[in-house]
Amino acid sequence: MKAKFISITLLSAGIALAALNAEARTLIQNKGSDTLVNVAQAWAEQYREINPEVAVAVSGGGSGTGIAAMINGTVDIANSSRKMKKRELALARKRGRDPVEHVVGYDALAIYLHPNNPAKSLTIAQIADIYGRKSKIKKWTDLGLEVPGCKEQQIILVSRQNNSGTYAYFKKAVLGKKGKYRMGTLDMHGSKDVVELVEKTPCAIGYSGLAYATDHVKLACIAKDAESACVVPSVAAAGDGSYPIARPLYMYTNGEPKGEIKSYMDWIYGEQGQCIIVKKGYAPISDVSCK
Amino acid sequence: MFAATELNRKNQRTEKLVRILFVLMAGLLILPVLIILTTLVYKGGGILSIDFLFTHPTNGMTEGGILPALLGTIWLVVVALLISVPLGIAAAIYLSEYAPDNWGTRLINLAIINLAGVPSIVHALFGLGAFVIFFEFGTSILAASLTLAIMTLPVVIVATRESLQAVPHAFREACWNMGATRWQTIRRVVLPNAISGILTGVILEVSRSAGETAPIMFTGAVFFSPFLPQGVMDQTMAMSLHLFVVSTQVPNVPEDLPYGVALVLIGMVLIMNSVSIAFRMHLRGKKKW
Repeated sequence: MKAKFISITLLSAGIALAALNAEARTLIQNKGSDTLVNVAQAWAEQYREINPEVAVAVSGGGSGTGIAAMINGTVDIANSSRKMKKRELALARKRGRDPVEHVVGYDALAIYLHPNNPAKSLTIAQIADIYGRKSKIKKWTDLGLEVPGCKEQQIILVSRQNNSGTYAYFKKAVLGKKGKYRMGTLDMHGSKDVVELVEKTPCAIGYSGLAYATDHVKLACIAKDAESACVVPSVAAAGDGSYPIARPLYMYTNGEPKGEIKSYMDWIYGEQGQCIIVKKGYAPISDVSCK
Repeated sequence: MFAATELNRKNQRTEKLVRILFVLMAGLLILPVLIILTTLVYKGGGILSIDFLFTHPTNGMTEGGILPALLGTIWLVVVALLISVPLGIAAAIYLSEYAPDNWGTRLINLAIINLAGVPSIVHALFGLGAFVIFFEFGTSILAASLTLAIMTLPVVIVATRESLQAVPHAFREACWNMGATRWQTIRRVVLPNAISGILTGVILEVSRSAGETAPIMFTGAVFFSPFLPQGVMDQTMAMSLHLFVVSTQVPNVPEDLPYGVALVLIGMVLIMNSVSIAFRMHLRGKKKW
C-alpha cells in the first residue's frame, strides 16, 4: 500500500517534470505598480517571441510593493506610477542598491463617474473640494447636479490603498502637497476594482488609470481651472500634455541596465514596446506609428 | 395499559419538530456547495476544453489557456508535500510512539496547535522574511512550497498522530512480546494499520495548499510568467493567484474566464478528495478489527 502511495506521489511529480522543456534562459523579475502591471504583462508576453531565452516574470501589488522589492533587492525591474521618494532612494543606497529611473510612458489619470451622472466637466479645484479633508462638496447637489438613482445625492468617494502610486499621485496633483484625503473614502486594492465599483454605484466618483476604462462607465472631462476648456482624457491628450492630470510611468533598474535587462529595456523603448503601451491605453514617450 | 397522556403527546410533538429542524439545518449545508458548483459549471463550463488546460494565456491574459498556472500549482503542491509529509509523519511517529509525557512533549503539542491557528497571511510574511530574504531563496517555488509546508504541517501531524493512536495498543504489545523492537513494530504493524488516516491528512494538505493564495503571493507566485517553471528556484504562476488576477486586476476579461479558472481549481481539489476517499474506503475494508 505504501509503495502504491509513493508511486502516486512520484507519478504526479513526474507529470510536473515531464512538462519541462530544457531551454536555458535568464530570468528577469519585474514587480510593482498595478497601473503598469497589465502593460508589463503584455511586454513579457510579447518579448517571449523576440527572445525565447529570456523569461520575464511579472507581479503586481502596487508601486510601493515594487519599490520595496527594489530596496530589498528582490527584483530586477520595479514598476512605479510615481517617482521614488528621497527617503526611499536613500534607503536603497544604504542597502547597496542604485535605483536608476526610466520613464516608459504616460498615463492619464481619469476621473470615473457612473453613466447616470450628468456632470459635463469638473475642474481640478472641484475635484479637490470633493476629495479633500476640508471638503466643501459632500453632495452632488452641491455641484448643482442631480444624479438619477443616487439616494440623498451623497457623494461616494472611491480611492486606492495607500501604497498605491495612483493614490500618491492623485494626492499630490489634485489635493496639493499638503492636501489630505477626506475620511471615509473606499480604498480599493486595484485599478480595476475602482472602475468596477463606480460602474455599479450611481453616487460614486473614482480615479484610476485611463487604461482601465470600460464601456459601462463615464469619463469626466477635466479642466485645469474655471477659465480653461475641459479636456477628455485620451492617450493623445496624455502624451501632448493637454490633459491636466497625466503622469509619467516609471521603471527602476538596479544600476544602469546591463546585458539581458538592457536588451529588454531597449525593446520596451523601441517601436514594438511603445506600440504595446499605446494599445493598452497609455501614452508613449515618443511618436510611434502603430498599426 | 399505557395510554399517552397530554404530556407524552406534547413531548412527541416537540421531538418531531426538533428533528425536522435539525434535518433542515443539515440539509442547508449542502446548499452552498450546490450553488457554488452549479454557478461555476453554468458560467464557466463553456470555456473548458483541452486547449484551455494546455495552452498559455494570450492577449493580455484575456484569451488562451491556463497551462502555466495549472502546472505551477502542481509544482507548488508536490514540492510542499515532499517537504511536509516526511517531516510531519516522522514528528507524529515520535509524538505518538516514543515521546514520554513530560513538559517537553507538551510544549511540542502546544506549538503544533498554535501553528495550526496562525492565519495564512502571517505564514506568508514569515515565508517572505525567512525563506525569500534571510535564506536568500528569492521568490521561488522552493520558498513558496516551504511556506505552504510549514502552514500545512499541523494538519499532517495531527491526522497522522490520531490515526497512529487509533491502532489498538494490544497490537503493539503482541508485537513487543514476540521480541520486536519499537521501530519494527511501528514499521510492520502500526503504520500499515494507520495508513488510511495518514492519507486523509495528506489529501487535506493538498486541497489546502492548492487553494491558498496569500502564502504564495509573496513568496513565489507571479502575476504572469511567459514560461513554465523548470525547477524549484523558478517563479511560477498559480491557479489561486491567477483566479484573483483575472477577476480583479486585468481589464476586459471575458466573463466566463474567471469562472473557468475557478472551476478547474475546485475540480482539481474535488477529484483529489474523491480519489483519496475511495482509496481510504478500500484500505478501511482491509482492516482486521
